[in-house]
This record gives sequence, structure tokens and C-alpha cells, in this order.
Amino acid sequence: MDRRTLLKGLTGVGSLAATGGLSMPALSQGAEARTLRFVPQADLANFDPIWGTQYVVRNAAALVWDTLYGIDATLKPQRQMAEAEEVSDDGLVWTFRLRPGLKFHDGEPVLAKDVVASLARWSARDPMGLMIKAIQNDLVAVDDRTVKWSLKQPYPKMLLALAKNNSPCTFIMPERIAKTDPFKQITEYVGSGPMKFVKSEWVPGARSVFEKFADYMPRQEKSSWLAGGKQMLLDRIEWVVIPDPATAAAALQNGEIDWWENPIADLVPLLKKNRNVSVDIADPLGNIGVFRMNHLHPPFNNVKARRAILMAMSQEDYMRAIVGDDTALWKPLPGYFTPDTPLYSEEGGEILKGKRDIEGAKKLLAESGYAGEPVSCIVAQDQPITKAQGDVTADLLKRLGINVDFVATDWGTVGSRRAQKSPPGQGGWHMFHTWHAGADCLNPASYTGIRGNGDKAWWGWPNSPAVEKEVAAWFDAKSLDEEKVAVGHLNKAALDDVIYAPTGFFLSYTAWRKNVSGIAKGPLPFFWGVSKTA
Amino acid sequence: MTVSTTSPMQIPPGLVIAQQLPDLLLPSKVRRGVVGFLRNNPTVAIGGALLLCLVLVGIFAPYLGTVDPTAIAPAKRTRAPSADFWFGTDLLGRDIYSRVLYGARVSLTVGLSVAALASLAGLAIGLVSGFVRWADSVIMRFIDGLMSIPPILLAVALMALTRGSVGNVILAITIAEIPRVSRLVRGVVLSLREQPYVDAATASGTRTPMVILRHILPNTLAPMLVQATYVCASAMIVESILSFIGAGTPPTIPSWGNIMAEGRALWQVKPYMVFFPAAFLSVTVLAVNLVGDGLRDALDPRMAKSL
Amino acid sequence: MVSYILRRILATVPVMAIVAFFVFSLLYIAPGDPAAVIAGDQASPADVERIRQSLGLDRPFLVQFGSWLWHILHGDLGTSIFTSLPVSSLIAQRIEPTLSLMAITLVLTIVVAVPLGVVAAWKAGSWVDRTIMTFAVFGFSLPVFVVGYLLAYVFALQFEWLPVQGYTPFAKGFWPWLQSLILPAIALGCVYIALIARITRASMLEVLQQDYIRTARAKGLGQRSILFVHALKNAAVPIVTVIGLGIALLIGGAVVTESVFAIPGLGRLTVDAILRRDYPVIQGIVLLFSFLYVLINLMVDVTYTLVDPRIRY
Repeated sequence: MDRRTLLKGLTGVGSLAATGGLSMPALSQGAEARTLRFVPQADLANFDPIWGTQYVVRNAAALVWDTLYGIDATLKPQRQMAEAEEVSDDGLVWTFRLRPGLKFHDGEPVLAKDVVASLARWSARDPMGLMIKAIQNDLVAVDDRTVKWSLKQPYPKMLLALAKNNSPCTFIMPERIAKTDPFKQITEYVGSGPMKFVKSEWVPGARSVFEKFADYMPRQEKSSWLAGGKQMLLDRIEWVVIPDPATAAAALQNGEIDWWENPIADLVPLLKKNRNVSVDIADPLGNIGVFRMNHLHPPFNNVKARRAILMAMSQEDYMRAIVGDDTALWKPLPGYFTPDTPLYSEEGGEILKGKRDIEGAKKLLAESGYAGEPVSCIVAQDQPITKAQGDVTADLLKRLGINVDFVATDWGTVGSRRAQKSPPGQGGWHMFHTWHAGADCLNPASYTGIRGNGDKAWWGWPNSPAVEKEVAAWFDAKSLDEEKVAVGHLNKAALDDVIYAPTGFFLSYTAWRKNVSGIAKGPLPFFWGVSKTA
Repeated sequence: MTVSTTSPMQIPPGLVIAQQLPDLLLPSKVRRGVVGFLRNNPTVAIGGALLLCLVLVGIFAPYLGTVDPTAIAPAKRTRAPSADFWFGTDLLGRDIYSRVLYGARVSLTVGLSVAALASLAGLAIGLVSGFVRWADSVIMRFIDGLMSIPPILLAVALMALTRGSVGNVILAITIAEIPRVSRLVRGVVLSLREQPYVDAATASGTRTPMVILRHILPNTLAPMLVQATYVCASAMIVESILSFIGAGTPPTIPSWGNIMAEGRALWQVKPYMVFFPAAFLSVTVLAVNLVGDGLRDALDPRMAKSL
Repeated sequence: MVSYILRRILATVPVMAIVAFFVFSLLYIAPGDPAAVIAGDQASPADVERIRQSLGLDRPFLVQFGSWLWHILHGDLGTSIFTSLPVSSLIAQRIEPTLSLMAITLVLTIVVAVPLGVVAAWKAGSWVDRTIMTFAVFGFSLPVFVVGYLLAYVFALQFEWLPVQGYTPFAKGFWPWLQSLILPAIALGCVYIALIARITRASMLEVLQQDYIRTARAKGLGQRSILFVHALKNAAVPIVTVIGLGIALLIGGAVVTESVFAIPGLGRLTVDAILRRDYPVIQGIVLLFSFLYVLINLMVDVTYTLVDPRIRY
């Protein structure tokens, strides 16, 4: 090839690229303004919110199904599909009446039998639901709009259970779909919520599409989290999976996407500088970092070893590793409950406050009988939060003189290995990391991670009668003040026994283009009230 | 390998002799020994010197002004290069200069081990497969099968079975590279086995292994050496890709691959996190290629004969 | 020749069977429980066990393998554990982007690299040669994601000529389709352009010293004719081999490119499935890959005979 032909070829490519300036697909102005492109925190691989309880599934399900009750921004349960409720004087019979005129996406009306089947499926998987099921007498549809749930004992937290935003929520599905075994996935996605799931355009791992359901009947009140009127101002929502954060940042700056759920903290300064992008805290309830130890085997079966870790660890190190240099994004957490919520407590948290005491921790560790055996720490490399925590822990343990066996692996392996109760030399484990959404740590109700019921407890199997006593006290509490007392004692008991080591409280940002309005702070992304100008 | 000692011949007009640098032309006297070899082939000398420097950097990393590459200091994370931190700090406050220098050990080990292991295995397989007709189909079908196993799957499975480690990464990448080398060698052997001198050797009673060793092997070395340098470079890059997915060397052992993978999300705002390991990787690959090119030019028997 | 091709195609069956068995065993031994990932962080051990049972993961190894093989023989690739969608439809959704990316990268690579290699060999030793080879070295000394980021930054963010991410299906028009693939193709192709240019140059160098080249020149044939008609054809065997290997690697190596540019292709599907232990999807894809590789290698071997008539099977 000679020079002349080469140059000709190059100019050809150049002109091609120039016409590529109009690279956006040819949608009309109007249609563009009614379509929102959103980058979710993870890929939506499956779409059964009762079967698969990952956060991203719940977030998508909130668009497609409506709930009986919904929690509002003040953390109070409010009626959603329910028009009214009644509880008998002895607290044993709950009666719910449905709003009139509610429809499913296939045009069928929402009837009480659909609610009954949905609640039955929900209560087979949800921790609070299981508690209710255990004391249930029966759950029936009295007529087309009335549901009766009679119990053997009173359950004062019923409305909270039905309204909460922790997975799984009480999504109401048609009876025939809700009759699917709770341990098998549903295959049809007929919803009751403001948007329809367009299964034909679903590419798992890449894209999910939702379209407005014209016959949805929103409530009249203003929307507030999962409560109130869910007015949709968009016709179409596309969830686009962009696995690479740098690419997502570029796409947001470029206008190829409109809303990025979870920008990483280090890229936020770049986004803040862009004239077309707004950035704000996503969810005031934030997240709590979790460092769990195995209570079944030495050295962490001895409470002194666990307290030594609390004495030496620096929550600031963990938090900076996770969210970076922005101090607005994290708080130290001398306890287990979400800051700035009614039940937050710092009782018993002195060990996590103040200057870190490595020497004291080493002494305590020696007293517990640790003599240099290898301690295995399994760290998932494909999750940035666990990876960051793992790196900090490895350094901490080294400084404490603990012989660390750092097992770098992936989240799937962590998931299966942490379930092993066998000794660490035979496939077990000593430590792993994860995190909880702050919305799941408001109270002991759905907080499986705080329980100390030994074999039935969460991974690590802490055994703490003191904690269990306070959990029962909370369930029996009759007023907010009583609840606060119970949770305060619970906090202290949990810290004394070190159910797990909290690594701190951290927040995350969310970012959207300036031509999008109506984005509200909350524990999940809410699409009602969101609109876009061209 | 002998260097021809005949007197310089006339170069016919228009014949181009491949050379990297002008002073390779027609040595007027024979230069013997290693020093002589190096002076005859400056590309090998330069590339080898660069590579040697990098190897020395890796070996003597503790003495070159470095600190503990795994010591975290989250309060000092993502600092730009400065007098305290020559290459800046990474996402956990670790000194990138130290990590890059220590990382030379891992990346070079991975690259050279994979190149050596894959080349040996691939050479053996390719020679036998290309020359021994009945073995060809069987072996090549096996190689086809090996190729269809995604190296990522192998790496993740190995990592899950035991743990992330340098050994697992080397094993996974070697298995992935063997098919390439063997197919290349086989291709060359296929065209060589039809040559008249091979027929002649077989006809005169030379046993097959001797034919392979004496006549086929020397002619496969040149393309294979080029391929080996590519395998070395590719292995270092694949290692960074495995770190990208989280199946590479664990973060407690820095390698250029995982330093780049950790810093990649921030490259728009803090490019130095990717730039320094990338620069070292490029220089290493350049050095490896110079060595490969130079060796190819020196060892090609046809080249030697024409001199 | 025809019987050779038929024999090769028949031989794919045992190959695929062995590969399938090997991968199945590997997945079986490797720890990692999709049921645990599905059940989510808050699930109890009893829940996880029930999900395992409903997925059939608690059956013995040979039973699981046998069942899977039986379904394959009936054309059923199984159902994804995570999405409950048939594996074949998951793969079908993702094939177009990956094949498109591969095709454009391949065309780009051959069109750029082979001429570069020929020119470098022709002008061996000159500054042209050294420049080309230096660029070639840089081509594969940078990881794909670094090249991808640079390209996206310059051409998509700064100049806004091309999109940063995403894939536009061919059905929506030729230009949008091409535009969404240019940057990924260049990023992915850098490595292969470098490799093929080098192999072309090395191979051409060997050929250019041959006596018959000298003869052709003595006969008065033009430079272009010598280079492309006489020399290139004889140098072609290693070049074709490497191109063939390149195709095979493009399929597997597109993972990073697809992640960086958010292209919904097979590469990402594979990684996601592996990390989640979605066994049916992994097995389905590996089976597909092994069939494709066998086909590609067959085509390469056939091309050998076209290019070098001395090669016989």
C-alpha cells in the first residue's frame, strides 16, 4: 500500500467519525424526555423478589409490584394497597381491607385471595413473616376486598413487618403466580405496581426495561419512600448495566445515561465539577461495615480475643479504605444500629472510641491463649467493599502479631465457605467481611446479623444469652421509650460479647444529570415523581 | 550453532538482508564467545541489558529506597507523586513506588515462567504432532479441546480450589498459552516436512527422532522464539486482566497487573496509579521483544549461512 | 480433501465430550455455591439448603453429569440457575454483539497489520521498519483496558465523535452499529495488530532471502508483485496460523473490552456466570466455544493447503 492510498483511507475514516457526532439513536425529542436511563448498583440477573433477596432485585421489584403497606421517610408504616385495617382488642385478629379499583398488569382486578397467596409466600421466607407464621391460626380472604389474619399471640409489629423496605417486601402478585414454591423462582412477572416489566427486552446482565402501566391507581397523598402516591412522570425506564465505574462516569458526563445509582466516592469530585451533573447523598440510612469472626473455633471462640480486635481496630482506617477522603461520607460507629435513627445507641461502645491500644490488645490476645496458630481470613476480591476491608484487616492482624492466612477468593466462594462449621484446617474459616444496609439495622426485627442464638445465628454462630434476652425484651416493648431501653442494653451486650466487629458507618452518593428532577433520598432509588426535561 | 567462517561474499544487488541495526552487516573478522556474540547482535545486548536491569530492580527492591509495599495508611490514600511518595500512593495509602519495584518480581516471574513452560510444552507437542502423521489428529483434537476452556474459568476455579496465588496464575496462563505455541510450531513443521532434505534424511535411514532433532527443530526455533517473547508479554498482560476480574495474584503480593487493576477506576482523575506500572510493563515488554528479535536474527541458520 | 474435512468434523464430538467432562468436574470440585449467592446475605443455612435441593445441586456428580449430557443430546442446553431462562436464549441474545465486535476487529487487524508487516520486512533495518516495530511493541505492551480508557477519553469524552459505551444492534442501522464498535475494536485489535505485524515481518524476512525472490527480481518483476504475489504467499503459513489463533483469542479475550465498553456480549456472560457459579450457563458456553474453536482450526488447516500446495493431509 502506498502513501496515497493510506491517506485516502484515513480521510474516509475521519469523515465517518465526524458524521458520528449524531450518534444518539433517532428518538423524537418527546420520547427522549420520557425515557430514563439508569445504572443500577448491580446486575438484575433474576427478578423474583421473594426467592432472591438481593438489594437490586428488591429495587426493581418496587417498580413492578405494589405493597400492602409502605414505610415512609419518618420510618412509619403507611397504608398503600390497603384502605383500612383493624385489629381486635386482644391483638389476635388483624383485618385488612383493600382499596377499590386496583388492577394487575394483565387487566385482572386485585382481589383478597391474591393478597392471601402473596402474604403466604412472603411469610415463608421473611424473618418477621416467619415469626408471624409460627404463631398463625389462619390467613384467609373473607370476601373480595377483605383479608383476615388470626394469630395465637399478639404481634404488635405487624404493620412494620408489612411495610418495611428490607427484602423481601410484601409485594402483591396474582394468586396463581404467588402459589409458586417460595424456594423456586416465578417465571411470569405480572405486577401490581406503576411500571410493567418488559420481559422481551430483558438481557440479564446487560439491560432491563420497564414501561408505564396506564391503569395504575396511585394514592392521593404525596409520595414518601414506599408510602403515598406513586405518580410516574416517565413512560419508560431502562436499567443499563455498566460494570466499569470509569465508563459509567464517562457515560454520565456524556449524557448517555441519566442517573447513576452508586458512583464510587473517588470519582465524585470529577462529577461534581461537571456543569451538567448533580451529586448528593443517596441514602441517609447508609451502610454498616461488618467484620465477622467464627465463634466456634479458637482463637475467636474466646471473648478476650474478640475484644482485643475491637481494642486495636481503627474504624477510620476501614472507612477511608471504603469511601475515600470525603469525611462527610462516614461516621465512627460505637455500636450496631444506624446513626440518626430513633433506636441508635452508643451504650457499651467505649472500647471502640478513643486512641487505639495495640499493646493492650496484644496482651489481651495473649491472655486468651493465642499462641501463633494461623488464622484464615477469606476475602472476596470481586467486591470492592469487602476487598478494601480485607486489606485493612490483614494489616491490622499483622501489627497485632497474628499469623494471618490471607485467602484471596471471590464472593461465590466466600458464600459457600462461610457456611462451613468445620474447623479452619478442614475447610472452615476464622474471619470474613461484608456489610449491611443501614435500613436493615434500624431495630432487631430483621437484623439477623445481631442475633446470638448459637447454631441458628448468622455466619459465625455467636452464642450470647444476654443479647437474646434483650431482643425478646424489644419485641415485647410497648412504647418507644421501652424499645430504646431494650436496644441500649442490647447494644452493650452485643459489644461485650462481640457478636461481630462493626467497622464503621458509611454513606454513598448518587449522581444524576441536571435535566432530571425529583430524585429523593432513600434506602432504594425511587422512580415516582422523577421527571426529565429534554 | 556455528557461525560461518567463510570470507564475505558479494551481495547481489537488490537482495535485502534483514537487520535491526546497521552494524550487523558482514563482520570482517569472526568475533568469538559471549562478548563477541553480544557485539555482533546489539539488539540482544540492549534488550538483555534492560531486562537484566529490571530483574536486578526486582531482586534488590528492598534496598532501592522502598518501604513495606503492603503497609497501609488510609489517611494518606490517593496522594499525587511527591518527595515523600515518588510515584504517589494508592487507594489504601500504600507507596506505589515500592509496590511497582516489588511488583517487578511477580510480573517477571509470571512472564518468564509462563513463556518457558508454555514454549517447552508447545514445542514438544508441535514437533511430534507436525511430523508424525498419525499422532497429528489425536493431538490436535486434544489441543482444540484445551483451547476452548476459557483461561478465566481455569484461573477462577484454581483460585477457588485453593486460594489466589502466583503459582495458580502461572498454571492457568500456561495452560491457556500452550495451544498457541504448539499450533504455530506444528504449522512450521508441516511445511518443513515436505522439504527435500527431510526426504533425503529419511531415505538415508535416519530415525524419526533424529530427523526431528537435527533437521526440523533448528528451523522451528526462530518463529518459536518470536512466539515465546509474545507469550511472555501476553502472560504479563493476562495477569493484569485476571487481576481486573479479581482472580489474579492476591493484593498482599503486588504485581504490575494488580496495581493497575486497583487503580483503573480512577485513571481519569489520578492517572499516575495506572501510568507507572504501565510504563514499567511496556519497558519490560520492549526489552523482551528486543531480546527475541535479536536472538531470532542471530540463530536463524539461513541467516548465518548467507553471511 | 472432502473426506478429511468430514473426518475432522466427526472428530469434534469426542473432543467436546471430553472438554465438557473436564469442565463439569472442575466446577464440581471448585467450592462456591450458587445457592448461597441466590439466597442472599440474610438467608439462613436451612434456606440455602432448600434452594440447593430445588436446583438439583445435591445429587451425586455422575447423576448430574449424566442428566446434563442427556439433555444436550436432545438439543436442550439447560436452564440458567440464576435467571431461569434457557441457556440457549441467553447465548442467542449475546452472540450478535460479540460476533460483530470480532468481525470488525478481525477486518481491522488484517487490513492494518499485514501491510504494515510487509512494509516493515521490505524496508528492514530502515527507520520505517523500526518505527513500525516500535508501535507494534507498544501495541501489545499496554493492557486492553488502558488502551480502551484512553480511546474513550479522547474520542468519546473530549471530541464526542463516538459513544462511550453500549452496543447498537445492526437492525438499528449500519452507521450506529459501526460507531458503537469502532473504539472497542481498536482497543481489542491493538494487541493483534502488533502480533500479526510482527509475525508477518518475521515470516516475510525469511522468504525474502530465498533464491526465487532473487530470480523474480532478476526477471524484472515489479516490487509490489514480488512482495504480495510471490513473497507473501510463501510466508503465509505462520501468518494464517496466528490469525486463526487470533480469532480464537478474540472470542475469549473480549471480556475486558466488553466490560470497559459495556457491550452485552458472550465474554461478560462467561465471567458473570463463572463468578456466580451458574453451572448450566458455563457449560453451555464452553461447549459452544469448543465447537467454534474446532471449526476455526479446521478452516485454518484448510487454508494452509490453499496457500502452500506442498502441504498435504
